[in-house]
Parts: sequence; structure tokens; C-alpha cells
Amino acid sequence: MQRGAVGCIWLYALASVLLPLGLFGLHALGPRWFFPALLPDSLSLEPLLALIGNPRTQAALGLSAQVALLVTGLAVLIGYPAARALTFAPLVGRGVILAVLFLPTVIPPIAIGIGLNSLMLQLGLAGTLIGVCIVHLIPVLPYVILTLSSMLSRYDRHYEEQAQVLGAGAWQVWWLVTLPMSLPALAVAALFAFLISWSEYLFTALIGGGRVITLPVLLFALVAGGNPTTLAGVALLIVAVPMLAILLASRLLGGGPQVVGVR
Amino acid sequence: MYQRSLLLLLCLMLAACSNTPAPLAPLPAPAPLDDWERIVADARGQTVNWYMWGGSESINSYVDQFYGTALQERYGITLNRVPVSDAVLAVDQLLSEKEAGIDPGSIDLIWINGENFASLKQADMLYGGWNQKLPNSVLVDYTNPALIYDFGVPIETFESPWSSAQFQFIYDSARTDPADLPRSYAALLEYACANQGRFTYIAPGPGAFQGTRFVKGALFELSGGAEQWRNFDQAQWEQWSPQLWAYLNELKPCLWRTGSAYPATEYELHGLFANREVDYSITQSVTGAGALIAEGAVPETARAFVFNDYMIGDYNYVAIPRNAPNRAAALVLANLLLEPEFQAAQILPENGFGLGYGIDVRKVTDEQDRATLEAAMDRLGAPATPPAELLAALVPDAAPEYQSLIEEGWRENVLIGN
Amino acid sequence: MLAPALVIVGGLFGASLWYSVLKSLGYLPFIGQFQITLEAYRNLLPGSGTPASREFLPALGFTLWVSGAATLLAAAGALGVVVVGLGRTRAPHAPRGIVPLLNLTLAFPHLVWAVAIALLLAQSGVLARVLFQLGLIATPADFPVLIRDPYGIGIIISYTTKLIPFLLLMLLATLHAQTDDYAAAAATLGASRWQTLRYVTLPLVLPALTAGMLLGFAFVFGAYEVPALLGVQFPRMLAVLALDFFRNADLRSRAEGMAISVLTGAIVLLVAAVAYALTARRTAGHG
Repeated sequence: MQRGAVGCIWLYALASVLLPLGLFGLHALGPRWFFPALLPDSLSLEPLLALIGNPRTQAALGLSAQVALLVTGLAVLIGYPAARALTFAPLVGRGVILAVLFLPTVIPPIAIGIGLNSLMLQLGLAGTLIGVCIVHLIPVLPYVILTLSSMLSRYDRHYEEQAQVLGAGAWQVWWLVTLPMSLPALAVAALFAFLISWSEYLFTALIGGGRVITLPVLLFALVAGGNPTTLAGVALLIVAVPMLAILLASRLLGGGPQVVGVR
Repeated sequence: MYQRSLLLLLCLMLAACSNTPAPLAPLPAPAPLDDWERIVADARGQTVNWYMWGGSESINSYVDQFYGTALQERYGITLNRVPVSDAVLAVDQLLSEKEAGIDPGSIDLIWINGENFASLKQADMLYGGWNQKLPNSVLVDYTNPALIYDFGVPIETFESPWSSAQFQFIYDSARTDPADLPRSYAALLEYACANQGRFTYIAPGPGAFQGTRFVKGALFELSGGAEQWRNFDQAQWEQWSPQLWAYLNELKPCLWRTGSAYPATEYELHGLFANREVDYSITQSVTGAGALIAEGAVPETARAFVFNDYMIGDYNYVAIPRNAPNRAAALVLANLLLEPEFQAAQILPENGFGLGYGIDVRKVTDEQDRATLEAAMDRLGAPATPPAELLAALVPDAAPEYQSLIEEGWRENVLIGN
Repeated sequence: MLAPALVIVGGLFGASLWYSVLKSLGYLPFIGQFQITLEAYRNLLPGSGTPASREFLPALGFTLWVSGAATLLAAAGALGVVVVGLGRTRAPHAPRGIVPLLNLTLAFPHLVWAVAIALLLAQSGVLARVLFQLGLIATPADFPVLIRDPYGIGIIISYTTKLIPFLLLMLLATLHAQTDDYAAAAATLGASRWQTLRYVTLPLVLPALTAGMLLGFAFVFGAYEVPALLGVQFPRMLAVLALDFFRNADLRSRAEGMAISVLTGAIVLLVAAVAYALTARRTAGHG
């Protein structure tokens, strides 16, 4: 009985990964696959290779990677000190700070996206890569800070004190104790940041003004152009990179359940 | 200490990925429009940012392959095709730029038609005075009323044509006998109700002009002509619009999903057609179904057809924003679009664009160019509607004021209904 | 050390919210409109006879329905999996290997997930093709309308299936962190497996579940891409309506688009505040 139930979870989890991949794969490799054919007439790598060889796809892939990596770097650099302060420093108004950080996780992007567009235009950042990076930080930073501070609350600062007592300088403490001990938390936070930024559509579309064409923006434009072969190919590209990142991360970190944001 | 190094890193990263234009040096005076050689010289080394609808992969690669290559090789201009999911996004961008006082802006050339042109003209965001100064403008018939009005708005000197299009239907010759095809809106109603759920049209609305055009055709047929709709007349609208909604509401229960949902884009309708959810699709292409077959969007047995009348045809255009950063390159590109060799290439289905000539073939004096253009027409073959049938059914578009009346009225009276 | 984070999140967020509110009040300098007016909000009210008034209330109702249904279904699903799948073990740990697999589903952005759902469940989608080959349907019209349907079923399916792994991971994380000792204590005290579930596991996961549901609800309520892809022309969800109005060629409708987006944010905030107050009171009551 119990084995059966666990089997059900397995089936669900497996299906929700393999089914979409299979769907995309068949459509991407089988052009002109129309109802009621059960399978495409023929499968060929050609459309997928043509898609990957297309300079526009490559540009979008490169841009997506650039944005996501930059956002990840910035988010960790800005988020880590903030999380440490939230966890360890005696703070006045912690509740207010938490509320400010929490807001972007509930307020819908649409509520601020349009205003953000005007704001970034005034700042001369609309339609630029850096503008998009900054805007991605709004949904990314709260998740990174909340993740880091929840993991840091289990972090024992006595090790740092001990190292100091044993004569380590500030940099030595940081390099030999703090960093290695924070590494798993940083890795998880970085993964979250990467995933959220990599998937972001609305902010990129509104702030990028059609000039920062990341993979999700490309996909959305193709949805209106409905050719399922190209659509499925781009979808595969979008999914492949985070899949590798997640697999890599769970290899490195092992064990316990981690929750990535709802985004 | 820690904070400072963080700040430094942040600055470095910002600097690394910032691509805002360098502080503005005073711009050299632009070349006068009469001095084409200087315009070409100014354009060398520029990047032309061409905003256009990017939903069709085949059109995208046609543009890159043909114009992108030629611009680079012949003029030393880099083409940056910026695909937007809807041309209104480019309008949006320009309005925001105007609001923020940004000049130079980000858009050099827009593939534009109809309502967006009207918006930008109204907002005074277009550069003018150039279209008939292009060397190739001698090939364009600037006396043709269908060309000098875009959705009823005078193009004046703000737009230059690229290509032409005409409303057509698509059917699958493997499923439907050509003899059974409806040839009027009245016959369509009969067909739809005899074949429940096998027909639908694109939802009229901003960004889906094909749907609006389908409804306009019905208005023309019901009122017995297209001519009287070329000028706006509120009383006439109030006289005929109730009959238009009555027709569409009579059609509604016979439609796909009994008219509760409509495809939002042309490609969604192509998908429904290819997957046999409906019997007909809609296209604007001079190749009929040809370009779509080449792209793999519809079966190889797809063919185009038209009603006997009221199939709206028009031109589509490019425009240059007032705050275009690379105006010279935009002018060179607008001129390149009118070259006979590219006009001939753009109609062939295998090249993926599939819209008709923007120029008038009769105005082409070069023998060889003319032969190329005529040969291209001959190569369209079976998937295309025969030119004579297209011409017989051709009517011009209605005045622009009707556009939003039809779109809003359709939502209110047909989609939402009572 | 908090400053950079607060500047980016709080500053940008606050400034753009300010812009949105200003524009929703009709401050549109580029058409020469400088004074503040509530007209855009009035236009949303029924009876004002504007296009916006016809669309706003149905959109609000539709959005509430879709986000409510998706959140509740996902919560029921995730809780069901925990109860049925793990409830009978003394210490409800996730089976080995399941967590990385669930994590993998997070690699699918919502937009991509919705594309997959559309390819699978459209009337001529892959499932319909399978049923046709099995002889169960003769034409696409025989297949139920699940995508671009007026009840938002496609949108709900897309979000529910995407939210279940998210909630499940949240629940598993809570259980993983906390259950061992409590479950052992309960067992020592002679609790049955179902008693353990009722009095230990459920109270432990409920706060996480509520928080997860709130996040899920807020997310779906303001979502744009998936309803734009899987929805119908009427009713539209609020975010789609807001952006459609904002991008309308008629410049005046921009203020209405802004007003809708501001109201969308305000409603989410209200729901969050109520949920927070409720949880706070329950916690206080227990204490």
C-alpha cells in the first residue's frame, strides 16, 4: 500500500519532467506533425540544428546567459551582506525591512512593471542589458536574502570567534572560515537567483523594450507565430540550461529538500 | 573595507554590461535628402535598428538573409532586426521615449501599418519629407490611391512602401472540393451552419488586423459596396452596424467553439486549420498558402481562394521615427527594400516572406529587372490565388475611424454579447 | 550592509509604484495632461459605459476564480501526496531521489510549461491524437475544450500542475527539518500513525502550506504570460487586461491600464495582509 503511494509520487514527478521534454522533443524533431498522426512522419535533427545555428537564437541564448549570470553575481554580492545583517546584527525596524524585502514576492510584476518602464527610461537604462539586470534583481534579491538568512540562522559564529582567538586576521577568518562555511548557502541562493532570472519574461519584455531579446522573450514572440517546430525547439533550449544547473547543484549539495521560489 | 570592494566590483560589473550610448557629442549636420551619395557615405558603419513583428521565423530569416547580407556587403551597414511580438510595442517605446525626451532614441526604422501609423503621426513622432527622395521611389506609383492612404490615413511623406497584401482564405484541397468553397459572406454563413464548428475567424482587435479585415469585408457585402466606407460617416455607421452585428451573431453559434473563443493570431488559426479543427484559414500573402507550406505551418495540399468580391488589399510600409539614431542607414535600407531584385525575391514562397510587390512593375524600365519580376509572379503556382481572381475581388480598406468602432463594437456586441 | 539591497528592492520598487499610481491618476505629460483625476478608476466601475467598465469586473471575478481554484487544487494535491504517500511512515521523509526530481520540474518556466500544456491538451493536441488512434474520438471537436476555454481550465491546469511540486517541496522541507523528534515523541507516547498525522504532521506543515498558498495565489493573481497564452478574449485576467489597455493605440486607455495594474497590486496586498492577520491570530490563540 505504502509502496504503491510512493510509486504514485514517483510517477507524478517523473511524468512532469519527462512528458514535457518528450512533447518538445517530438515537435522539435518532427516538422509538419498534424492531427491525427500519432507520431511525426519522420524525425530529423535538421530543424533543431537550424534553430541552434541561427544567429538570433545564439544571440538570445548568449544574452539570457549573460543576464542570468550577472544577476546571480550581483544578487549574491548584495544579498549576502544583507542576509548577514538581518541574521546577526541588532537591527532597529527589522520588521519593516523584512516587509520591504517581502513585498516584491507578493506584489504582481504587472503592478510595478509599467511604472518601472517609465522610471528606467528616465534613468536612460530602458532597453539596455544593465537595465534588465537591475530590474531582475527586484524579484531575485528577496528570494536570495530570505534563503541566505534562513540558512545562516543555522550558522555558528563561534567558529569565527575561535579563529580570531587563534590569531587569524580579518581576511583569514573570511577566507578560511566564513566563506567555506557559507558556501552551501551561497550555492543554493545562486541557483535560485539564476533560475528566477533565466525564466523572467514580463520585466525583460517591459524594460528591454524589445531590444533585450532573451530566450523567454523570443519564445513569447514565437507563440504568436505558432510554428510548433520552432516553438518546441526554443522551449527545449530554455529548459536545458536550468536542468543542468539543478542537476549540478544537487550533485554538489546532496540531500535535503530545497524550495525554489514560486516563480 | 569589505563594503568598498563590493562597491568597486559592482561598478566594474555595471561598466561591463552597460551599453548606453556614450555622452552625446554634437552631431554633425545630417546630409540633405537630395544628396543621396552623402547619405550613403554617412550610413557606412552605422547599425540600423529595424523594429518589426518577429512572430514568423520564415520572415525573420528572409530579412536577415537578404537585406542583412546586402546591407553589410554593399553599404557597410549592420542590420539589427529587433523582433517585437506586436508592432504596437515599437509605438509604445517611441511614446515613452518622447515622454522622457530621449533623442536620439533607439529605433531607426519600423515595419508599420495602419493604426500604429495613425498613432505615431498623431503623436508627431515620425520623420517626414523623405519617401519620394529615395532613388528607387521612381518605381513606386505615388498616384495610386490604394498606396497613398494607409488604412485611410494619408501617408504624405512619412512612409515608404515595402510590399503589398490582400485578404484571402486557405483551404485544404485534400479535404475540400474547390467547387464547394463559399464565394461570399452569405454563402459562408450557409457553409458554416451546415458544417457546425468548422469555421472561425481571427478575433478583431489591436494587433490582429486580419480579423478586423474579415469583419470589414462582411460590412462591405451587407451594405453593397466598399466605396462608401472610404470616408468616415457616423450616420452611415449607425445605419449598417446593427446589421453587421446581426450577421456575425447569426454566424456565431455555427463557429468553432460556438464562437466563445477565437484564435488571437493568424498563426493560431493556421494551427487549427493544419490540425483539422477548422476547414479554412486566412492569409494576406501573395503566395497564398505557398509560404506557409514552405515553412511547414500547413499541409502541402493547402490552397488559397477568395470570395468574388470585398477582399481588402493594401500596401505595407516602413517609417522612420523623428528621433532615429541612424537616419542615414534607415534611408538606405528603405531604398534597398524597393530594389527590383529584392522585390522579386520577397514574393517567392521558398524565400519565406511572401508578400506582394510594393513597386509598380510597369514603372520598371530595366528590361532584365522587369523580366525577373514577371518571372517571379509566374512561379507562385498552385498554392496561390490566380492574379486575375485577386484583382477582381480587390477593394481598398475603410477609413481609419472605423477601425476602433469595429474592434470595440465587435467585443461589445459579438464576443461578449448579451 | 543592508543598504544596497534596500535601495534596489525598496527604492526601485517604491519609485515605480509611485509612477504607476501617478499615471493611473491621469498624469500623462505626453498628451499634455497634467492634472490629477480619478477618471480612470471611475471608468472601471460598472455603469460608466466605457469599454473598461464592461471588462473590469468580469476580469476581476475571472482572476479570483482562476487563482483561487489553482491554489486550492494545488494545496489539496500536495497535501494529499504527503498524507497518502508519506502519512503511514512514522517519520515522513521523502523517498530518496524524489527531491532532485521534483526540483527538476522547477527548471520549466511557467511560460514553457504552458506551451507544453497547450501542445498536450489542445483539441488537436497530442492527447487528442492518442484518443483518435484508439478510436475514442473522431474529430478534434470531440475532445473536451481545455485550452483557450472560457472557464480558464487550461490556465488552472497549468498553474496547478506547476504549483504542486513547489508546495510539495515546501512541505517536505518543513517535515525534513522538524518531524523526527516530534514523531518519535508521539510514537513513544503511544500515538497511532493517523494520530501522528493529525496532531503532529499536519500542524507542522500547515504554516508552510498557508505561506506557500499565499505566494501561489499572489503569483497567479498577477500573472501575465500563461493567461495570455492559454486564455480567451473574454474574460481576460487582470494582468492581461491591464497590459492590453496600456498598449491600446488610444492613448487615453493607458491610464485605465495603469489603474487596473495598481488595483491588481492593491488586492494582492489586501489578501496578503488578511492571511497574515489570520495566521498571526491563530498562532496567538495557540500560544
